[in-house]
Amino acid sequence: MTSMAEKGEHRYVLNMGPQHPSTHGVLRVILEMEGEYVMDPQPVLGYGHRMHEKMAESRSWPNFLPNAARMDYLSALIYNHGYVGVVERLAGIEPTPRAEYIRVITSELNRLQSHLLWLGVLVLDLGAFTPIMYTFEDREKILDILEDVTGARLTYCYMRVGGVVRDIDDKFIQRTREYIDWQRSRMPMYEKLVTGNIIFRKRVEQIGEFTPDMARRFGLTGPVLRATGIGYDIRRAEPYSVYPEFDFDIPTETAGDCMAAYKVRVREIEQSLRILEQALDKLPEGPCMAKVPKKLKLPAGDACYAVESPRGELVYHLTGDGSDTPYRMKIRVPSFSNLSLLPELCRGMLLSDLCACMGSLDLVIPEIDR
Amino acid sequence: MESKDSVIAAFQKIPVKVEEVDFQQRGYHLEVIVKEGQLRAFAELLRTGNFYLSFISGLHLATGIEVSYQFANYGFPCRLLAHVAVDADGSLPTIADIFQGANWHERETKDFYGVIFRDHPNLKPLLLAEDMEDLKPLLKKEKTLKDRAAISRAQPETEPAPTAKEDA
Repeated sequence: MTSMAEKGEHRYVLNMGPQHPSTHGVLRVILEMEGEYVMDPQPVLGYGHRMHEKMAESRSWPNFLPNAARMDYLSALIYNHGYVGVVERLAGIEPTPRAEYIRVITSELNRLQSHLLWLGVLVLDLGAFTPIMYTFEDREKILDILEDVTGARLTYCYMRVGGVVRDIDDKFIQRTREYIDWQRSRMPMYEKLVTGNIIFRKRVEQIGEFTPDMARRFGLTGPVLRATGIGYDIRRAEPYSVYPEFDFDIPTETAGDCMAAYKVRVREIEQSLRILEQALDKLPEGPCMAKVPKKLKLPAGDACYAVESPRGELVYHLTGDGSDTPYRMKIRVPSFSNLSLLPELCRGMLLSDLCACMGSLDLVIPEIDR
Repeated sequence: MESKDSVIAAFQKIPVKVEEVDFQQRGYHLEVIVKEGQLRAFAELLRTGNFYLSFISGLHLATGIEVSYQFANYGFPCRLLAHVAVDADGSLPTIADIFQGANWHERETKDFYGVIFRDHPNLKPLLLAEDMEDLKPLLKKEKTLKDRAAISRAQPETEPAPTAKEDA
């Protein structure tokens, strides 16, 4: 591969996206190709850029709540959680214990549906159409459960500073318990259908090489980081909300290929189910909303709040100046850093393997573009 | 560097001004003030530890633009926020050759604030379109600019929070 590449012969440029189905949203990758080998993939961002950070600076803080759901549409509740968390931390407000549990329960349901969608589309990108039908059946159950309590199916705006907007009821709890059993009963099927499938394995094993050093250099977080053997998860490393009260594992793999990232995510499904089970058992009684001043002003000062999204570390950094409008809000999104290693990761790879790598990164483009 | 204390000790050799802050209130452990000339040495030091770059962001103050670098550690809880004031011509040295992930974060900061990162390999617009290079959307209007004191926490930090804790 080297001699021809060095001379730069037989090269051509292939444009992938912004409407390509396996870039999941409006990502464009300019590929410099040598035959079927990708010599230099360069992502082009910004097609879905809406400047959420400027919007945060130009309106009072409660008016930003709906924006939080519109960055990463697959983990809207986790983005809700981070945003109310950073305002609470800056203003020194304590949510009620019941609200914290409800936040964890709904966040974990949100994480599960994100992982299920990823599982479906990863294999879809690799050419297998059937599994997404099964994962959508599972995902639909979660969306139905969440719709009843939040009123939305995708862009949730459910959490408020001090708590959540509506309490969960017995029906919610019962349906969630039924869902947990259902999801557990489905996992052996996925094991047979996808994990053990020889065609799938040939497409992901030893494809892509994520290393701990690469993680440090690019700021990798989330399941792809844990596929390199580093067991770093914000829920454990910098515990927030009531996560310290639950017993769950941080799955890691050491191979660092796409298969390892796949295995980490599939094992995380079981861990989320465990958290859900414990949270439902321990759910305290009480109000789901603390008493919060009607016109809350953000005090002068700054605060960060980091949460673990399905794709990695999400950080809100909020600077207040004593008014009700943030002076500055920075949103650190996981996919931004995770995608930035694509040129290094995929250099010299077959085009079809690039699709496997991008699927393993579990990209959500509106989150990157913000 | 195996603990937060050894990180602080290492910082004092550069030397950068470092202050330990309350994680429960601030969401990070160390606040660092770095001078423009120390930035690369600071990044190189963090590179030898188990640190990763979380984000780079800007802040437009009455005194000028400040760029913030957040790093966190994979091994032990140590999230730090470093502030660097840009120098007179609005530029800073790049750290994209030390932490490659900084490449995009620096391009984004250039998009939003117009900060030039010297020796950056490819300082083209990232999120904004090519013809929006002069937009610099996060620069504030002069009359809305505040200084550092106006956005710093009131001292002492132990004052009771304005919540309805007693009612809850």
